[in-house]
Amino acid sequence: MINFKVPFVNLSAAFRNDAQAISITVDEIGNSGHYILGAKVKKFEEEFAAYIGTKYALGVANGSDALFLIMKALGIGPGDEVITQPNSFIASAWTIVATGATPVFCEVDETLGLDPEQLLKLITPRTKAVMPVHLTGNPAKIDEIEALLSGTGIEIIEDAAQAVGAKFKGKRIGSFGIAAMFSLHPLKNLGVLGDGGVITTNSDEMYDKIRKLRNHGLIDRDHCEIWGYNSRLDELQAAVASIRLHKLDESTSNVRKIAEKYSSELSNLVTLPKSYLGAEPVFHNFIIHTKNRDALQSYLYQVGIETKVHYPVPIHLQECAEPLGYKVGSFPISEYQSTNSLSLPIYPELTDEQVGTVITEIKNFFKKDL
Amino acid sequence: MSKNFLPSQYENDEKFSVQHNYLSQQFSDKDLILEKIKEVVTRGDFTLGREVDKFEEAFARLVGAKHAIGVGSGTDAIFLSLRALDLQPGDEVITTSFTFYATIGAIVTAGGTPVFCDIGDDFNISVAGIKDLITEKTKAIVPVHWSGRPCEMNEMIEISEEFGIPIIEDACHSILAEYHGKKTGTFGITGCFSFHPLKNLNVWGDGGIITTNSDEINSKIRLLRNHGLVDRDHCEVFGYNSRLDTIQAVVANHLLGKIEAITNARITHANYLDKGLSDISGIEIPQRDAELKEVFHIYSFMAENRDALWEFLRENGIDAKIHYPIPMHLQPAAHYLNYKKGDFPITERIANQTMSLPVHEFVQLRDLDFMILKVKEFYSHDQF
Repeated sequence: MINFKVPFVNLSAAFRNDAQAISITVDEIGNSGHYILGAKVKKFEEEFAAYIGTKYALGVANGSDALFLIMKALGIGPGDEVITQPNSFIASAWTIVATGATPVFCEVDETLGLDPEQLLKLITPRTKAVMPVHLTGNPAKIDEIEALLSGTGIEIIEDAAQAVGAKFKGKRIGSFGIAAMFSLHPLKNLGVLGDGGVITTNSDEMYDKIRKLRNHGLIDRDHCEIWGYNSRLDELQAAVASIRLHKLDESTSNVRKIAEKYSSELSNLVTLPKSYLGAEPVFHNFIIHTKNRDALQSYLYQVGIETKVHYPVPIHLQECAEPLGYKVGSFPISEYQSTNSLSLPIYPELTDEQVGTVITEIKNFFKKDL
Repeated sequence: MSKNFLPSQYENDEKFSVQHNYLSQQFSDKDLILEKIKEVVTRGDFTLGREVDKFEEAFARLVGAKHAIGVGSGTDAIFLSLRALDLQPGDEVITTSFTFYATIGAIVTAGGTPVFCDIGDDFNISVAGIKDLITEKTKAIVPVHWSGRPCEMNEMIEISEEFGIPIIEDACHSILAEYHGKKTGTFGITGCFSFHPLKNLNVWGDGGIITTNSDEINSKIRLLRNHGLVDRDHCEVFGYNSRLDTIQAVVANHLLGKIEAITNARITHANYLDKGLSDISGIEIPQRDAELKEVFHIYSFMAENRDALWEFLRENGIDAKIHYPIPMHLQPAAHYLNYKKGDFPITERIANQTMSLPVHEFVQLRDLDFMILKVKEFYSHDQF
């Protein structure tokens, strides 16, 4: 393993800060003997709903399951279509396939979000939902999407896996559609010690259905109303999520400062992240675009800076997507992003010195290059 | 927000002197586990980390299978096994109605239609009944080694081979159980295990594992459990997300050193209850078979006037349970399958009469004597 001066993530630092609090709460759980759907999950759900500003939050096993369960609760299945975007993580698509429905991809724009102008053309009588992804924690054009779908009966499911804490026009992401999903995967802004996810919703009906679906369809120990799934947020992970939720705004403001530094220093050299008017992003990733992406990445690697590409192969060009019939050229902007984007290290534990190193080295690269 | 259904089986009710739930006692040595979890935190390998690899290898060795794949839960283990067989909507899966909801939930989620088979006096799927249920659409047989008692595997394998229909073992109750000296989880194309907090090998949340001797199924399930990814950037098949957490693997690794002792304690307690209860009229204990090693995840028997006995035992501080009073074919969820009362007489009779007593490793000899005494007392009142 290479020892980077600036690693892309530093999970051990992130969790070391909370080690004592986590250790105490794990101890409590061990003493209580409650590991599943107990008081810690309930507490976290209440805190998270209050934070997002929704009536309900439901802890589930992971972010992917959250999307899957939302779609199942909406009755989405074979013959239905769900629209999402091709520049996302693969789970945005497979969760649709897992319900039996067909994913339909919509081109994105320079904010990395779904382009509402392209959306209209894709709607058919089979369209049951649109799943905009707030990629990198950068809010999608949610008001335009809402306006377009208003009165159509097509539901909006927010894929907010990367967007915990982000706002649009003062309102938290995760409170716009019929339901939203968040991921608590360790790499996320609100990460736990393993897999975890949350669903937020204002709908009593969705809450009721998902609460059954995540726990075998049970209405009590002995009665199963619908064949369900097993997808529960562990007590342990809920306890960690509660601890970290209290610090989320602070860590978000730290990453925003890093984003500002990158932006002010690199604006002449690369294309910076763009946000839609009224959007307050949370920078799960800080994605720049440059024609010299591969050369820049390998230069940074050589000088000890780890970067990533989110994602080098768009979903519509993955092997698994072959049956869907897309080809190279189907989504030029998404494809452009996959070959020109680079994610710079960004997390609250990054020191000023490390941020400075990244900026200096990117400048050095372009000096040499030009 | 108080509507959340918190399953009552996790409640540690002070009113019981003999408890079903023993979790607070079990991890008295949790500091050892916490130290290991700290190491995971330092490494940051929370997802499919080193401890998962270690556990998978050790578990495969323990059971005697070539591969073991850690997944999110026992439910997911069954679901992913069926997905690995490429089950298509409308395909039929033969299973037992006398099981936990998850067996059926997994079949339905995978796109299958459950086809129920009656059980025998051993509470397990009646192998003789399977043959009659096979159609062109049958794609799998999912036997459940209920309570930790192995099903009749020799005959089932004959049927499986004759018709070319794979067996997926629901071994969620049966870690270390043996059929003719061979462990459950090694007979089918896969074996599915659960590490739910109430299982014999239990972690601190949800967890499961799949065993298999097939290299092909192993590779397929490893893809399916992790988004279908062959590497970070390439997705070969649309998959799922179902992984055993690294920190849960730490707990599981810790318990591997104890699972023999845990199992032996359960067997000893069960044998003791067998002896003490066998001559009570009103009680019918399943016939034991010397060729089977039962691991007693649940210790159950048939009881006349069961509901009154249950109430009587609970009044006397014994946390007796019913696993489970309503079989799957009579659940509201099964309505669309058009089964009715009377379809599976043995299943229904057992569901009406089954009674479970605690036999976990923290049950004391005096608890066992007390339970026997109270059952005797009930039937002496009851009869005379």
